[in-house]
Amino acid sequence: MERKIGVYICECGPNIAEKVDIDKVIDAVSSIDGVAVAEKFKLLCSSDGKKFLTDQIKKQGLTHLVISACSPKDHEKTFMEVCENAGINPYLFQLANIREQCAWVTEDKAEATKKAIRLTKAAIKRVRYHTSLEKKEIEGIPDVLVIGGGIAGIEASLQLVSSDRKIYLVEKTSSLGGLITNFEKIYPGMGSGSSIIKQKIQDVNKKENIKVFLNSEVEEVIGFFGNFEVKIKKITEEGEIAEFNVGAVVLATGSTLFDPKKTPQYGYGKFDDVLTSLEFEKMNLSGEISLKTGKPPKSAAIVHCVGRNEKGYCSEICCMYSLKFVRYLKDKLPNIKVSNFYSDLCIPGKSHQKFYEQTKGNNVNFVRSSEIEITKKGEKLDINYKDETGGKNNIPVDMVILAPAIEPTSDAPKLAEITSISQGNGGFFAEEHEKINPVSTSTEGVYIVGSDQGPKDIPATMIQAEAATGKILSSLIPGRKIEPEVKTSQISESLCIGCKLCLSVCSYGAITFDETKKISVVNEVICRGCGNCVAACPSGAASIKHFNFNQLYQEIMEAVQ
Amino acid sequence: MSKLKDNLKSKGAVISAKTGTKESIIDFLKKAMDKGVFDAVLIPMRVPAGDSFAYVLIKDKSLLKDSFPLPPVMSVQGAKAVSSLTRLGKGNMKIATVMRPCETRATIELTKLGQTNLENITLISMDCPGVLPISDFLDDPNKGMKLFNDAAKKWDDEIMRPVCQICDKSSMVAGDIHIGTLGAKKDTFFIISNSQKGNDALEKLDIKLKENIDSWQAKIKDISEEKQKKRKKAHNDLKSEIGGLDNLLDTFSRCINCHNCMKVCPICYCRLCYFDSDKVKHPSEDYLQRAESKGSIRFLPDTLLFQTGRMMHMSHSCVSCGACEDACPVSIPVAQIFSMIADETQGLFDYVSGRDIEEPLPLVAYKEEELHEMEDAND
Amino acid sequence: MTKVLKINKSTEQGILDLLKFLLEKGKVKGIFTLKKINKDGSVAYSLIAKPDELKYAVPFYPLMPVNAGKLLSRFSLKGSSSKPVAAVVRPCELRGFIELVKREQGSLENIFFISSTCGGVYPIDKSVDGTVEKNLSKYWDAVKKGELPAELRPACRSCEEFIPYAADMTVDLIGNNIDKQCMIFLNTKNGEELTKGMDGELLEKEINKEKIDKFRSKRGAEKKKLFDELDVKMDGMDGLIKIFGKCIGCHGCMRVCPICYCKLCEFESPDSEYKPSNYESDLKKRGGLRVPPGTIYFQLGRLSHISISCVSCGACDDVCPVDIPVAMIFKKVGESVQKMFDYIPGKDVEEDIPLVTFEKEEFAEVEE
Repeated sequence: MERKIGVYICECGPNIAEKVDIDKVIDAVSSIDGVAVAEKFKLLCSSDGKKFLTDQIKKQGLTHLVISACSPKDHEKTFMEVCENAGINPYLFQLANIREQCAWVTEDKAEATKKAIRLTKAAIKRVRYHTSLEKKEIEGIPDVLVIGGGIAGIEASLQLVSSDRKIYLVEKTSSLGGLITNFEKIYPGMGSGSSIIKQKIQDVNKKENIKVFLNSEVEEVIGFFGNFEVKIKKITEEGEIAEFNVGAVVLATGSTLFDPKKTPQYGYGKFDDVLTSLEFEKMNLSGEISLKTGKPPKSAAIVHCVGRNEKGYCSEICCMYSLKFVRYLKDKLPNIKVSNFYSDLCIPGKSHQKFYEQTKGNNVNFVRSSEIEITKKGEKLDINYKDETGGKNNIPVDMVILAPAIEPTSDAPKLAEITSISQGNGGFFAEEHEKINPVSTSTEGVYIVGSDQGPKDIPATMIQAEAATGKILSSLIPGRKIEPEVKTSQISESLCIGCKLCLSVCSYGAITFDETKKISVVNEVICRGCGNCVAACPSGAASIKHFNFNQLYQEIMEAVQ
Repeated sequence: MSKLKDNLKSKGAVISAKTGTKESIIDFLKKAMDKGVFDAVLIPMRVPAGDSFAYVLIKDKSLLKDSFPLPPVMSVQGAKAVSSLTRLGKGNMKIATVMRPCETRATIELTKLGQTNLENITLISMDCPGVLPISDFLDDPNKGMKLFNDAAKKWDDEIMRPVCQICDKSSMVAGDIHIGTLGAKKDTFFIISNSQKGNDALEKLDIKLKENIDSWQAKIKDISEEKQKKRKKAHNDLKSEIGGLDNLLDTFSRCINCHNCMKVCPICYCRLCYFDSDKVKHPSEDYLQRAESKGSIRFLPDTLLFQTGRMMHMSHSCVSCGACEDACPVSIPVAQIFSMIADETQGLFDYVSGRDIEEPLPLVAYKEEELHEMEDAND
Repeated sequence: MTKVLKINKSTEQGILDLLKFLLEKGKVKGIFTLKKINKDGSVAYSLIAKPDELKYAVPFYPLMPVNAGKLLSRFSLKGSSSKPVAAVVRPCELRGFIELVKREQGSLENIFFISSTCGGVYPIDKSVDGTVEKNLSKYWDAVKKGELPAELRPACRSCEEFIPYAADMTVDLIGNNIDKQCMIFLNTKNGEELTKGMDGELLEKEINKEKIDKFRSKRGAEKKKLFDELDVKMDGMDGLIKIFGKCIGCHGCMRVCPICYCKLCEFESPDSEYKPSNYESDLKKRGGLRVPPGTIYFQLGRLSHISISCVSCGACDDVCPVDIPVAMIFKKVGESVQKMFDYIPGKDVEEDIPLVTFEKEEFAEVEE
């Protein structure tokens, strides 16, 4: 069939018309072989403009459409819809950006016109090599995978679950609850931590649509937002595997403590009665605070900022829980002498200053210090330190509680790889944008909630859980269809020689290897058309629809000749 | 390097070579076949007309006596032969390959690229004095043989391929077993194991790896250092000769685009080379337009695109064997140029092709802490 | 009788004038010819669009870096030439192109052919060591006298098809007084049209038959000599193994051959790959197997695929890294196959390729 290309230049109000001599552009292109018509219009994206295009397509019997106007980001979709409604396959269309990339970057009218001519000609050349592509539609899955059964994961699950949305909650230990199960009380209200979490766990167990997998780990997450294929493995000898599909993934794997053995000056692991904060919480929850000998301590030191220098950040919550520890100690052992060694006191928040004031009291010491070294002096532990003036001092105590830095769990790198997200500062999962997009990640459909994103307290965790919930609820609506990428990669069976370089660079897991034919195969539903495989393939066996070699080559050659 | 590898390479075995090094190696292979350690051996043999050598997969032990572990020419790069055997999967036969270090290294690279399966293959390499350019040998094969043998005895590389003359990896151990002729006492050679597979094979042959191999290590270190000096100088000279677009164009001006270099290169594994494919075939208007704007264009154009494109695709795995230069009909110093570039591209990633089968290919391995100097300054 | 344009200048100058004329008058938009492409004097085919560039052109330089038929095929593969061009080519290159056109690998449209009575070319390695430049005047002396210059490609020394069939213009070189005159035979209407307006005498002549026959017999004698040498070497399967024993499977011969046009050669495709089970079963019957296998298989396969159209240009010889006399082997087999069908490859684009043409009255002797 004869090719009839319609070329339309948009004046875009004054935006383009003022800089580009559009009539010159029309002159330059109307006689090109295959161009049936070349005209200008005031504002192509307006309803008048769209009607004009539709009429033109029908009247002129156009087979291809080229528009020179604004950025594809603005109106490529608009004009593709016009094509579709007027009966042309929307991929037989090319938009040349003569606004952001031409009219708006120079004051020189002559130069702008020359460039606009080149860009339009290049688009006309390229569109000749376009082929029709059909869009696909698949059912978007509303279900969600929540990885991590602590407060963050539990909260997200409870908020998300509904009659038409299943939640798969995966926890690697044998019970839900996470760190909070160990907290007798939580600051600043000093209400019960463990009973709050117990209540939440009961709520989870009541919900039929929350499927809980204990003692399980995520093995594989392949796919894209609306359609992830998930594999879970049980951490037992048999290692049963469960497979299911979800539309979104929430990472709520929490955090762990910095190992104070790495900072030997605190004596952890060397001497008895030097505990981490978590060990102390557990001891406190058991009801009895005592030394290794079984006797209650008469004095205790709480050392803040353990590992802060090594990690390079402040872990936000330790000062507050250290104050909580003072309360624990005073509640159970009213006469105990407590000293808090800190470098800076971090107590932001509307109720925290008051909490601090009320914690200070008799036999409670706050010492601003540095260069702490803990040694054994007879039966006691000796805290050697430099005070604010720089003078050396020491305080002997019975028990030392360390507040180590918060760090990501050891499986964070593996999970980041599985979900194709990055790790940012400190190894925590990286959010998409620190300020304006704190729960999304670079992978659409994967969200991070809680202290796996960075040290934070319970209120902040709850906020993130609700934020991620909000994002998922508004975008993953049951019944709504998802259109996977049309411009996907394809690998020529005859040219592929099975070196798997493409597989190594696919960020979406969209390429698999056929062992019988010894060739790589693209899963078109998962493929996002990023083009990594095309760049990696040395023989050109891989190519992207709508961006194949010829299309790009012709466009570039025309633009630069 | 793993601890296992270090342990394996600190001691070796001393094998008697009273009947001659070549004969003793063949004897070793024969014994191995007798004991069923190997079902077949891939090793060069003379072709019927006597004017060249080719790799033969030998199943009949009696043919071994006519084989040549270190032939004077490298007609087909050994890695290509191994790939031909195992690209479509491992066979049932246990095969030992006897090749030069660069051929062994190329085999390892091809394995990383899915073109070879080493499961039933035991790679045996040996210290290499270099190899003659094939055209020199073909002039007079008998003379060539003699010249090579004399040069090999003295480890004199003057008559060898230009890249062999500056090769500092001529004793590199990359496979499973290595035969160390350098630094060995008279009428002996060393056998060194580099893997569990090598260890197991030697154990089955009752060859104990208990001897000190310091003298071999010292000798190959000396030779390598000397070669490195030569290499540095050669590269500096070459850089000034080919540096800059004009010089590069001149250097490759007589290239006739026969693509022989690509075809004999062990690393070039694509079924249809990008530069032979439809992607470089354009309609006449394009050529005429180009000729119009430049006054004239060479036809076919883009010779340099092929050369630099090939460099880009394979230099990370280039083993500097020199097969390309032997095959070039217009004597372009292709191997010297590609080998020099390969040093640079591999150096960027601290990568040595074929050194370690576990080492991932740099171009498809992402390391967060790498090449920061290339990143956005504002990151 | 053919129209002949006689230019009273040296042939070299006459041709350059002709090419300049064609470009300047806009009769063609481009010229394919050999050109010195850098200061070192490397010679390569070029597409020249501006007359100024002709000062570097060396139209009948005795070198064939690439068979121009292959180049013209590439030029017109993705559609016939969009503008008229002239190609200065040797008879075998033109014949090679026509064989490709018969196989839809190019188009004759808009291409005008300027060929010559051909004195032959040197092997390409002789250009690397400077022999060609050194021997240039000796070469032209021999051509002028109707003799065979020394050290040419074996395929050229033994070539009897040195007069082009389908050229629009033939420049008479052999036995011609090329220092003093340029004789251009205008074989077609196009040839006449293109040269209309050029300075020179228009004559009516035939090419000197006696001179041609004498030259042909010299070439014939060389051919017999070379074929006899080959007969001794190629005797039976053993002979083939001996002569192709040093083949390294680089397939360079295939790649430079104008007739080899497949996108992916059969012998490089998955069809030719050995599975481990193939090796194992082969080794059941023999004690050893050459790896990679199929050395002779490739050569025989290529012979069976292209020998009907082999134009004996000798490009394969030049490119072989191990000096196998490929060109003479293929010439010998090619000529005997072509004789069976009374076929001269590239003579006439209308003549169908014998292997795909059924003629009832043919080869009755092989029928039942």
